Amino acid sequence: MRFIRLIIWKEFSQIRRDPLTIRLIILPVVIQMFFLGYAITTEVKNTTITVLDRSNTPESASLVQTILHNRLFRFAGYAESEADCRERLDKGEARLALVVPADFSKTLSAPAGADVSLMIDGQDANSSNIASGYINAIVTGWSVDVLRQKLAARGLRIQNVLPVEVRPVILYNPMLKSAWYMVPPMAVVLVTMITALLTGFSIVKEKEAGTLEQLMVTPISPAHVVLGKIVPYVVIGLFELCAVLASATLWFRVPFRGNFFVLLLFGLIYMSSSLGIGILVSTIARNAQQVLFMLWFLLIFFLFLSGFFLALENMPDWVQKVTYVNPLRYFMFIVREMFLKGSGFAELWPQGLAMLVIGGVVFGASLLTFQRKVS
Amino acid sequence: MNPRIRALIRKEVWHILRDWQTLLIVLAMPVFMMFLYGYALDVNITDVEVMVEDPSPSAETAELIRAIDESSLFKVTGVVRSAGNPGDIFKKYHVKALFRFSSSFAADLRRPGTPASVQVLIDGSDQNLGAILRNAVEPFLQKCVLSILHVPVPVSVTMHQIILYNPQQKSAMYFVPGLMVIILMMISAMLTSLTITREKEMGTMEQMLVSPIRPAEIMIGKITPYIALAGIDGALILLVGYFVFGVVISGSLLLLTVASLIYIFAALALGLLISTLVAKQEHAMLIVLPATVMPTVLLSGFIFPLTSIPIVLQWIAHAIPATYFLIVIRGIILKGVGLAQLWQPMLVLTCMGLFLLAVSIRKFKVKQ
Repeated sequence: MRFIRLIIWKEFSQIRRDPLTIRLIILPVVIQMFFLGYAITTEVKNTTITVLDRSNTPESASLVQTILHNRLFRFAGYAESEADCRERLDKGEARLALVVPADFSKTLSAPAGADVSLMIDGQDANSSNIASGYINAIVTGWSVDVLRQKLAARGLRIQNVLPVEVRPVILYNPMLKSAWYMVPPMAVVLVTMITALLTGFSIVKEKEAGTLEQLMVTPISPAHVVLGKIVPYVVIGLFELCAVLASATLWFRVPFRGNFFVLLLFGLIYMSSSLGIGILVSTIARNAQQVLFMLWFLLIFFLFLSGFFLALENMPDWVQKVTYVNPLRYFMFIVREMFLKGSGFAELWPQGLAMLVIGGVVFGASLLTFQRKVS
Repeated sequence: MNPRIRALIRKEVWHILRDWQTLLIVLAMPVFMMFLYGYALDVNITDVEVMVEDPSPSAETAELIRAIDESSLFKVTGVVRSAGNPGDIFKKYHVKALFRFSSSFAADLRRPGTPASVQVLIDGSDQNLGAILRNAVEPFLQKCVLSILHVPVPVSVTMHQIILYNPQQKSAMYFVPGLMVIILMMISAMLTSLTITREKEMGTMEQMLVSPIRPAEIMIGKITPYIALAGIDGALILLVGYFVFGVVISGSLLLLTVASLIYIFAALALGLLISTLVAKQEHAMLIVLPATVMPTVLLSGFIFPLTSIPIVLQWIAHAIPATYFLIVIRGIILKGVGLAQLWQPMLVLTCMGLFLLAVSIRKFKVKQ
């Protein structure tokens, strides 16, 4: 026990000596947190749109004005022909082009209805989907209005014609703020980076400097060295977890509806995986550069398959199965559920158990390889 | 070529080949990321898991539930008579929405004048999905019910979409250019900053500086092999994009090569600049991440369209090379446009590269 305490003490003084490394690890996460907290809106705003109105009737003008008055779009001038539309899209002057055909007003009252077409710059599939969805909604809204006026002329109310009344209610994040969804998981990213990178660095640097061998010839056993090395990083990791929690709730005003201590417990369980990965990588790697490269590689992989920014439900089945071994996936889920839904141990124990199993395997394997490599 | 530069290039190539683990990662990383994007990225939202609360089951509600389940947007994972506290359903089953039919749903549906009511509880945690569901449920349910009742859907305007440049909306067309932008920046900036800080750490930089080699020659000799390496990575991305994901370059390959070289050059100059600021390899690596990769990913317009982000960030976005390269590379690969439409961003990119190189050479000289 004395040995472990000594190593812990040594490790802390080493961390104190090189504050730049910790700052450089925290910096990108903080930048990203602010970016995700402030900048990201899933709204696609200021989409440039050009219009070709072949019909030139009060009806078509009303439809066009309804679209152009929406603050989500920016009018990029009228086009003269379809070729002109295409050219404006090619040059990037507009991203959407609305074409109203010449027979628009005539067909509007026909049973089949009128057609308009929308040319979409499909370079960025996601944002063009969203933007065209907006236009679609505006057009539908406009045509319901037209329908309402027609029915009113016959003395009918539209509510009596539509058979269902739908009332959507949004739970947990009623204002649909992206910060509420994106900021809490930054705790997971930060804890992973801090614990894995710092333990990895600390071991590989001893290797590079040759001091690891010196430690091994002392009466301290390899397991004690590892335990002594990880304790400071567990402490820092928990500290970081609290820091992100505090800034998420106090600065970004994300509600935390779960139990703080349950979250810390899950955090501890999770750290057994991230620390284990750090130790494992540093035992295999020869220098700090390789540790960083390998951890980066793994982190990208884990983040991708964690549901952080790409929903897991959309991925193919076999990819979803791969994600079951990803510890980040579970912790990310736990953090989000606890923050917004206020879930507790009763609902989240399966995820906790999965992390415990993964952590046990990874940590055990890392201890074994470390012992084999050094002795 | 100047023999001193040639000797330096040979030395640098030897360094690259000797550390084969790093080389392997540098070459495997882009391919690996492409497969990740290729299989994990799907912008179409389908089969969102939902549950239904149906207090008085009837033929109509059963048919409606089947219609919801059979739609491409939703998948019904369970039907309950009573949801109790709906919060428990969301916490326990992790569904994204709960449709709650009123107890007189079937009767109201048959009686004219009283619309049957459905409450839809939506899990808004994921604001993106929440917004999509909120906008979709009403028209979706109206349409389902109308078709169950065999009433023609009242339409007055139909919108036809013509999607240009990427008509099948293949996600590969979107992530291949984006990955080019990210990976070329990451590899170029990181490797140059590493190789220079390594020489600094070992003390060999000082030895070179007291030799007759001039600082500018050291820089050129160090940069050249990495231009080649980044070029190989770029070619690898395009080849995998073509053979595995079917991304065809509709514009000029020559123009793409030239533009990529200019971009690589700018990224390498940025790496040089970083290496003049720090003394240790790990610090260089850790600075490269927030200074180059993050702005490239977040601000270039790859993930978030430039017009949607706050104005201050738009300014920053216009100060980074990636933004311009993304316009050029999307223009060439997707739109098939040429120099006539793209000369402006290419010119900006070139100026940025020259500026960064000039600053870093100056900094480098001052330090000595």
